[in-house]
Amino acid sequence: MAHVSDLIASDISAYLKSHEHKSLLRFITCGSVDDGKSTLIGRLLYESKMLFEDQLEALETDSKKMGTQGEQLDFALLVDGLAAEREQGITIDVAYRFFSTDVRKFIVADTPGHEQYTRNMVTGASTADVAILMVDARKGILTQTRRHSYLVSLIGIRNVVVAINKMDLVDYSEKTFRSICDDYAVFAKELGFGNITYIPMSAFKGDNITEPSENTPWYHDTTLMGYLETVQIDEERLQKNPFRLPVQWVNRPNLDFRGFAGTISSGVIKAGDPIRIQPSGRTSTVARIVTADGDLEHAVAGQSVTLTLADEVDISRGDVLSGTDAPPECADQFESTIVWMHDDALLPGRSYLLKIGSRTVNAQITDIKYQVDVNTMKHLAAKQLVLNAIGVCNISIDRQIAFDPYSENRDTGGYILIDRLTNNTVGAGMLHFALRRSQNIHMQHVDVNKAARSSLKQQSACVLWFTGLSGAGKSAIANSVEKRLHAMGRHTYILDGDNVRHGLNKDLGFTDADRVENIRRVGEVCKLMADAGLIVITAFISPFTAERDMARSLLAEGEFIEVHVDTPLEVAEQRDPKGLYKKARRGELKNFTGISSPYEAPENPEIRIDTTRLTIEGATDVVIGMLQQRGFLGSAD
Amino acid sequence: MTSLDSRNLPIAALNDKRREAVRLRLAGTRLTDIAKLTGLSAPTIIAAHKAFLAGGWDSVAVSARGRSPGDGRLLSPKQENALFRCMVEQVPDRIDLPHALWQLGSIQMLIRRQFGIELPDRSISNYLKRWGLSVVKPAARLSAGTEPLKQWHANVYPSIAARAQAERADIYWVDEIPLRNVDGQDIARNSAVRAVTNRGKQLWLAYEGVLRAPILIDFFDRLLNSSGGKAFVILDGMQWGRAAAVSAWLSERRDRLLSFHLPDPNGTADLATGPAPSTINRTPEIPPAPYIYTGSFSDQIKHLIAHSPTERTPYAAKKSGGVKHSMTLTHLQRLEAESIHIMREVVAETENPVMLYSIGKDSAVMLHLAMKAFFPAKPPFPLLHVDTTWKFRAMYEHRDRMARELGMDLLVHVNPEGTAKNINPFTHGSAIHTDIMKTEGLKQALEKYGFDAAFGGARRDEEKSRAKERIFSFRSSAHRWDPKAQRPELWKLYNARKHKGESIRVFPISNWTELDIWQYIHLQNIPIVPLYFAKTRPVVERDGALIMVDDERMPLREGEVPMMRKVRFRTLGCYPLTGAVESDAETLEEVIQEMLLTKTSERQGRVIDHDSAGSMEKKKQEGYF
Repeated sequence: MAHVSDLIASDISAYLKSHEHKSLLRFITCGSVDDGKSTLIGRLLYESKMLFEDQLEALETDSKKMGTQGEQLDFALLVDGLAAEREQGITIDVAYRFFSTDVRKFIVADTPGHEQYTRNMVTGASTADVAILMVDARKGILTQTRRHSYLVSLIGIRNVVVAINKMDLVDYSEKTFRSICDDYAVFAKELGFGNITYIPMSAFKGDNITEPSENTPWYHDTTLMGYLETVQIDEERLQKNPFRLPVQWVNRPNLDFRGFAGTISSGVIKAGDPIRIQPSGRTSTVARIVTADGDLEHAVAGQSVTLTLADEVDISRGDVLSGTDAPPECADQFESTIVWMHDDALLPGRSYLLKIGSRTVNAQITDIKYQVDVNTMKHLAAKQLVLNAIGVCNISIDRQIAFDPYSENRDTGGYILIDRLTNNTVGAGMLHFALRRSQNIHMQHVDVNKAARSSLKQQSACVLWFTGLSGAGKSAIANSVEKRLHAMGRHTYILDGDNVRHGLNKDLGFTDADRVENIRRVGEVCKLMADAGLIVITAFISPFTAERDMARSLLAEGEFIEVHVDTPLEVAEQRDPKGLYKKARRGELKNFTGISSPYEAPENPEIRIDTTRLTIEGATDVVIGMLQQRGFLGSAD
Repeated sequence: MTSLDSRNLPIAALNDKRREAVRLRLAGTRLTDIAKLTGLSAPTIIAAHKAFLAGGWDSVAVSARGRSPGDGRLLSPKQENALFRCMVEQVPDRIDLPHALWQLGSIQMLIRRQFGIELPDRSISNYLKRWGLSVVKPAARLSAGTEPLKQWHANVYPSIAARAQAERADIYWVDEIPLRNVDGQDIARNSAVRAVTNRGKQLWLAYEGVLRAPILIDFFDRLLNSSGGKAFVILDGMQWGRAAAVSAWLSERRDRLLSFHLPDPNGTADLATGPAPSTINRTPEIPPAPYIYTGSFSDQIKHLIAHSPTERTPYAAKKSGGVKHSMTLTHLQRLEAESIHIMREVVAETENPVMLYSIGKDSAVMLHLAMKAFFPAKPPFPLLHVDTTWKFRAMYEHRDRMARELGMDLLVHVNPEGTAKNINPFTHGSAIHTDIMKTEGLKQALEKYGFDAAFGGARRDEEKSRAKERIFSFRSSAHRWDPKAQRPELWKLYNARKHKGESIRVFPISNWTELDIWQYIHLQNIPIVPLYFAKTRPVVERDGALIMVDDERMPLREGEVPMMRKVRFRTLGCYPLTGAVESDAETLEEVIQEMLLTKTSERQGRVIDHDSAGSMEKKKQEGYF
């Protein structure tokens, strides 16, 4: 691999020495299918002399076989990867390429130019210091240029290169170049980039890539490579920010050593510095910065280290070590931008896992304030976020976490959302600020509590949650159970479709999003009624596991009794007491559970009732027996 | 094609299928059709057919797989017995071991002293398990226990734990366990009283006959000594309360030693059964659990390695790269930090990780990074070498030396099916050899030990299709890689959640290039296999490549005479598949120089890559790295 340097042949030691001090820059290239993105990356690899002869030979053969540039080398072929893409002639994922010069090593995130674009570009950009926006000189600023620019600003990249490509096809016209620059400057004003650099180039011919081009005598500014070799790396900026280290792992090889391992996400730390542990708020002092190469005097953003402290403080994975002067805020409700990355839409009210730094917590999107149209940046109303949608949302999590606004620190302000059932990464988010709401509403302390209210009724509060297909017999059994309990002198209340859908939830329909909200509200009402000491009975289809689990999580351990009224679809359809199945089969009812909308049967319900083998009376016996056994009905009978 | 996993079949059923496959083959049926009819994979069918051609019907059947019991133990039965007797009859401090109570470390020291054998923690815990000293972490045991135990764990234990933390006391779970017969002698009356920490470390005192108060008092006294500070003991079993002498002794030491009792696992009303059990679908009750060991033993290894009481072998790079405090991190410092971050995430978020060790230069760098990531602890995972048995001898020597010097546990797995069939690159060709010995062998090993995450040394710059491989690469329970089902990786956030049976391949050096690897080896002075350096070696020229004659197993073709040439290897694999290059580069700097001036890429020497462009893609989908 011929890095053309005489030093290699003459003095390899000196060469290696000089290359030990190279820095590392990560960047992303953005552009659509025909903007010449792959050609540019191929060109950079070629110009940095990172290609072996066998690779060049393969390139020549491939160029002849499937190239789009006639007899000339088609650099795009160097960077195409998966076999399927090759056949389609397009890239479909994020790929990482590497090249280096004498002063820097570069990692390029290469993202595709069509469907899935938002998801892949956000992924590739999340680690980039610089973005190169490709513009076809013949076409000027297009909708996709705006879209890419918006995404780049969203992900917090400050340094942008507008690469005005294919100058050879507009006769290297300065006028064309200037007018594109002016257009872009107007549009980019609101995006808040720190620094925009415009370069006229031809990736195909090699103009202004590494050498100033003779074809553009009117351009005196930097070449692309010159820019990439000198632009500031983000980590250097981060070293000036306050100290942050999310604890990844507690290192305890023996009783005498307790170290906190993690990667410094911003700032500088020295032995002897005072630190604060968030969210606990405890403080201590750094005793040592331990590495396998010996203790360090100080460490900076980007390094993975292990700290020991002067005091024995309780610290675990997920805590954030910070300087005492500017510790991160702690909160459990935020405003945040969310980029949705999965085919199943984001539904407000559904519970997701949120991973930020090394902490994973439960999260709910409480409200979608608006969705952003990536092409026009206009705000749209939205009830859900579908794949590749971007929205500004309020989000609530189940405990306090330490955070910084994303604009200040990507590592302590960026998070991913994980689906609880499939474990897929379904979204990415950027925290804006904490919502003060949570801190202003304090729980009113009351002397009469749930236990007091329940004992007056000689029972323990609980929720009998009946779930099953339409026509399974939920309401019939629930009614019979309530009658029996009433006869026993117990205080009960039934929530079902009739008394909830006509009042509290009359604004909701039957889409997935509305079903989730319906059950969330029912869950909250159950919680209040259980707090009142009642035995609450619900009879809803409640088709999704996630929502039933959410309802369960609102109640105390053991209070939620899931009753699966298990009736096979054929049987329920045969019974069809309300004639709904027939309607659904005729296509008159949309989103009907079991027919056109899924039912997720509970895996481990507290009680399962097989209605093909049990009468209503028998089922009632089972439920009442369970309540007695678990002591919900007290002693008096 | 979904081929069935022949390892799950009983031998007889497998052999029936193999014979059926040979019959079909002889009848001229196509390979894919046979695969469909029998469910066997193509390599298995080919292997069965070849076996038939070589040795007739008798050779088609395979024999039982895996090691027979007792194989591979380093101590002789006699030594093991002597060790056991010593453990029962003595206490460690009376025979000059630095512990008040027996523990894994004391057994290790004793073996070293008595027999001069160095055994890793994992082997020792194997012996302990055989003797009856298997251990489950208390929390896991309680949450798998009966309702009363779970209730106690949820309601009572948190207050104990909180108090222990407030008073800086150590928590021990104390129980009494029978020790098992070893080597035929009747030692059924031996037992041990044992303390288990929350993290699963066990401390014990063995005794003969029945448990008497003086033994218990001695045990608690020694426990207090080893703990140093305050201790909370949670007693398991009802007999503890009966010994008045013990209660009195304990109450005198209430300031330093507090005792609590676990509830009777079968006690109190059983809430589980409903009035009509036939209609109530409940999960079956898990029987009351004594300290039975349930998972694969590697579960506890992860922990034992991380908290090994023995001194770790001092490990430090001979030439320190981290002394300079420049504010701008170099590219190698940043790559190093990223790899360390990834390794720590995996250890924090997975149950049972392992590092795949292939002995090459990439593995050397990965291992070096692991030593750094967990310093001063040892990396809390073992190394796994999936051995094709055709590596260069120098590679085996290097492998064993590194594991020994760094004090790492090394697991070696050879596909027993491959060995039984004598799969080799000469007669079977590189494709079948790689498939059976490497791809299949790797899957077997991961399943055998229950590893849920495996570090691999692949780099994105190696091959075009790898440029898009994620750092965390998810595999289905059948080890398939689905390019469409990979998760986006943003910032430094890796989502390591997975379902039971699924696993992750993790590539911590994804973003390193070949030049980075060499520079880092140079800067950090990392030991690598000497085959990377030029030396005069015996080679034959075959199909345009120089193949080294590494041992007598390599059949020479007609007319081939080994000749001495000064050669080195740019990449290391199985010696019959790895071509050497003629070179004068005897030092690391010369190797790097040669690499920088050379004109062909690294993998060119590998025979397996000389396929179509999509070949690596296909291999990856089948589970090859």
